[in-house]
Amino acid sequence: MSGVLTAARHELLTSARAKSPYMLVAAFLGMVAASTFIGWRTTVTVSAIYDRVVADGLTTQPNPFTDVSALYYVRNTVIYVLLIGSLMAAALGVQSALRDRKASTAALVLTRPVSERAVRAGRLLGIGAILAILVVVTSVVTWVSVGAIVGHALTATQTLEVASFGALTWVLLMGFAAVGVASGMVFPRERTALLAPVVLWAVIAFVIPQLGTAARPVSLLNPVPLPAQGSGAFGWLSQIMAPFSITEHFKTASAALLESPYTGSAVASAAVVALFTLIALAAALVVRAARIEGGSHE
Amino acid sequence: MTTTAIGTHLLTHRYGSHAALSDLTLDIREGEIFGLLGHNGAGKTTTVSVLTTLLRPSEGTATVAGYDVKREPRKVRAAIGYLPENVTFYNDLTTAENLSFFAELSGLRKPGARISEVLEFVGFTGHDRERVGTFSKGMRQRVGLAQALLHRPEVLFLDEPTSGLDPEGVRALRELIVRINDEWGTTIFMNTHLLSEVTKTCTSIGILRSGRLVHHGSLADTVGAFPTDDALERAYFASAESDAA
Repeated sequence: MSGVLTAARHELLTSARAKSPYMLVAAFLGMVAASTFIGWRTTVTVSAIYDRVVADGLTTQPNPFTDVSALYYVRNTVIYVLLIGSLMAAALGVQSALRDRKASTAALVLTRPVSERAVRAGRLLGIGAILAILVVVTSVVTWVSVGAIVGHALTATQTLEVASFGALTWVLLMGFAAVGVASGMVFPRERTALLAPVVLWAVIAFVIPQLGTAARPVSLLNPVPLPAQGSGAFGWLSQIMAPFSITEHFKTASAALLESPYTGSAVASAAVVALFTLIALAAALVVRAARIEGGSHE
Repeated sequence: MTTTAIGTHLLTHRYGSHAALSDLTLDIREGEIFGLLGHNGAGKTTTVSVLTTLLRPSEGTATVAGYDVKREPRKVRAAIGYLPENVTFYNDLTTAENLSFFAELSGLRKPGARISEVLEFVGFTGHDRERVGTFSKGMRQRVGLAQALLHRPEVLFLDEPTSGLDPEGVRALRELIVRINDEWGTTIFMNTHLLSEVTKTCTSIGILRSGRLVHHGSLADTVGAFPTDDALERAYFASAESDAA
């Protein structure tokens, strides 16, 4: 256990000294700020148009934003987590896995009386801590900025929903970070190690959902989950591909947490995301490292 | 009566069908400084990699500090220190942070005092809060030697320790290696292709050629067989020629 904690502390320390986590923080905070700003700007613009249309006597319908949830402003964050957060988490994992190769310290680590898996588990724990800090910071920024936009503090239920969305985000990011670690273990070249998770991400985010829905790629960049096709080839493809549509499941579970419309079971979708992360973590722990300076034969 | 610190019997390692090391049989006694000589690609690093448990032997047996490298790799690791060739460390961390990580992985708790002691021994005090990324090759080698000594290993493996050092650095490191052996009684296994290093540092030598040990004996016996100034050079090439014949 001490080997795990030592490696976790080391991961935190080396990451804190490197630039990547700070870029990650900046990108995440930028995403949250952009998300809430876009939501707020949309509301202001639509409401202004609505007021003009009402003044001209052209409608008697209610303002579409009158009853909208305060969490509506967080909706775009879902897509930013999928587009930017996932790839950044994977890059963090790759950097962690390649660190010993870059520093030529793999042989030093592997000749210590701790198991290689314990060190790897520690590194994943360290990455988990870094991602948890990022998610907590962004959740707090979300809570504050949405409260400022709507003019009052979020309710206890909404606060819990924001926190739950943060937890779900952490689970997804951990999955992609683990994919990055596994890739870094398998591929000794940095470019290939970085490219492999991007390809996997593209398949999960675009190819698999398209196979089951015939959706246009641009519609997959919408935070609203796509309804599956109920008939024909897309119908049965949708059923087969459903468990692998991790990003669509993330959208569904997020929509439920952020009081947005969705179809299907939010709990089942959250479970699929969690299962993806568990499988990725297991892969990161058991995958055999490519031999550079010699791998442990234990 | 000294006991065996490193023993191998018909030790072989293959990369695919290529045998990088063939039928190596060695007996290195406790307290020796053993120099493994050989040309580039002779199998020196493969030998060290097998003995430090980084590679699994294809055939044969090996023990280090009394532990079998195949069956008891973790016990072997607890008993050895290792300085690979061209180690650079985590550049963004300080000397103390780098050493602390390796000390804790070796099972040392609160290693601060031991780190100070080892840094003083290798003549590197006053740099513990500096980032390793700013160090020269010679300074990194001292940090490398310090990390290898942190947990008081019984056997120390050094892979081309003077590679890339300037003459002053070479001499300083050579003196350190002899001091480690003298003061702590550590058995030292050193890979090198520099005959002068072996002459000035080692008590026994082995000559490896294309993965095979072609000579093994004490430095005194080897040099005694060629009573000239360039004795070791003659011994080296004589071994190579007899192997080729």
